[in-house]
Amino acid sequence: MSTVVSTSTPSPVAKVSAKPDIGAIVKFVAVLIIALVVISPLFLLFVASLKPDRFQILADMGSFRAFWVSEPSLQNFTDIATFGGALPFGRYLVNSLIILFCTVLGGVFLNSMAAFVLAWGRLPGRALVLTALIGLYIVPQESIVLPLLSLVNKAGLGDSFAAQILPWMASPLYIFLIYQFFIQVPRDIYDAATVDGASPFRIYWSVFLPLSLPVLATVAILLGIETWNQYLWPLMVTQTDYARPISVGIASFFGHDSVYWNSAMAASVMMMVPVLIFYLAFQKWFVSSFISSAVKC
Amino acid sequence: MSSQASPMPGSASPGPIRAAMPRRKPPIWGGRLQELGMLLPACILIALFLLLPFLSSFEIALTNQRLIPRPVPVRFVGLGNFQQILTDSAFWTALWNVTRFTVMVLPIQCGFALAIALLLNQKLPFRNFFRGLFFLPAITSMVVVCVIWSTLFQYPTGPFNQIVGFLSFGLVGPIDWLGDPNWAMPSIVLLSAWQAYGFQMIVYLAGLQNIPETLYEAAELDGANAWQRFWNVTMPSLRQTHIFVLIITTIQAFKLFTQVNILTQGGPRGTTDTLVHYMFTAGFVDQRLGLASAVAILLFLIVLVVSLVQRFVVRDRR
Repeated sequence: MSTVVSTSTPSPVAKVSAKPDIGAIVKFVAVLIIALVVISPLFLLFVASLKPDRFQILADMGSFRAFWVSEPSLQNFTDIATFGGALPFGRYLVNSLIILFCTVLGGVFLNSMAAFVLAWGRLPGRALVLTALIGLYIVPQESIVLPLLSLVNKAGLGDSFAAQILPWMASPLYIFLIYQFFIQVPRDIYDAATVDGASPFRIYWSVFLPLSLPVLATVAILLGIETWNQYLWPLMVTQTDYARPISVGIASFFGHDSVYWNSAMAASVMMMVPVLIFYLAFQKWFVSSFISSAVKC
Repeated sequence: MSSQASPMPGSASPGPIRAAMPRRKPPIWGGRLQELGMLLPACILIALFLLLPFLSSFEIALTNQRLIPRPVPVRFVGLGNFQQILTDSAFWTALWNVTRFTVMVLPIQCGFALAIALLLNQKLPFRNFFRGLFFLPAITSMVVVCVIWSTLFQYPTGPFNQIVGFLSFGLVGPIDWLGDPNWAMPSIVLLSAWQAYGFQMIVYLAGLQNIPETLYEAAELDGANAWQRFWNVTMPSLRQTHIFVLIITTIQAFKLFTQVNILTQGGPRGTTDTLVHYMFTAGFVDQRLGLASAVAILLFLIVLVVSLVQRFVVRDRR
């Protein structure tokens, strides 16, 4: 993805000077309009979250007033943050952040350690482990969640943070992604470190980790998005508000006859904002991360 | 699929398949123990939370086990669960629905993704900004997407009904998009395609970047117009990308659950029930773990077959 800007059609400006400019402007405006139309649902969400009256939100949706808020108010946000709303969204958001933080931190660490041993270790049977891992990543999460739920309940981990963190930290896909990166590190680097007498963990920690920031960022982003958006698993494993993440919290609005649109909109914005902040800061990394997840399957 | 995209940005060539021979030193036991300590945590987690439930699903599927154990002992029922599923018309409806979903979502999602990718592949100011903008839905949680789109689908005065009414001079509608058995699935398709096209878009963009410029120049010299260049240069060059995108979209589509669970609960009248939703209802709502495990195995087999087809096709044509 690093070559995005460099290649494109040869500049037509050389041939004619005035005409292509108009064409370029038309093209630009066309793309801009398409982008605005495609993205407009997200814009509507942000506008609606600033309207405190849930009936007003619905009434406005049918007209251009949906794009405009005359008296912006943060009341929806204060409502759900201070537990004044129908559901404790402050709690759900904090739960989600705890789960996200532990899963990503643990996941990056455990997966890269394992990948290092698989790529450079001397342990017998590494090839077998690698083959087993590659075989396992075809198993979809959906087809193991119910037996897993039964196991987790038997182990007394139901309705806990651990049940939402531990199962998804280590993943064959991410071990494999990091493994692929590690095996491309020149042998000389590894050899130099062993000559110095460094232990395997030392080599991993001070030589390989600093080298592999791109792939670690990729794994962190993919695992982070995946964790943040988990739905099926926390829906089944959480029974109370104790460890319930925000995704399940928002979905529970739909159970009622009349949806609290104002709270649902504000909660949705709250769920989007952390992702948006990271996305704006690391946009290039996000896109390349998703590309590299394409090695899956 | 390693040929689709290099595994990480900036890595030039695939590099040598490693030749890791333990030739330098006699093995140090301390080092090996440490290696074991580094490898085991991830492996234990995967064994406990992926391998064990996967294997146990085959065992559970042969019993009448309940999610919350009952005082009566669990009974071995052989292939009874599979028999029950395969004779349950609701299962076939779910399978048919998810097939219907896949057939509808594939051309819409991938076609739209390709169209946007083609737009963004041109000389364009702020191209990276646009790419970032078009990618936004892909990082939006499906739950959030459901909140937004359920207001768009609102009956009778939501935006979609207003647009349809306006375009048809009030002859059509208003339509209860998510409540009408004829419209519920197409509505889910539209929403799903909107949420997910970003991934296919960037995969197509990467594919487009890999087409050599000389091919277009040669076609232009031969007098091919833009339309002909698209069909005779772009499309054939994207062949591998197409296969990859189609397979991965198919696998995703077969796992359809979240939006259905939130917006329609499989209704109206079972028209949006899907395989995963059927499994969820059987195992979680009705507590019939054995039956649900059998569905899970069938789902795994479907995903396996689709993946194998992809490996086959890709290897064949290389």
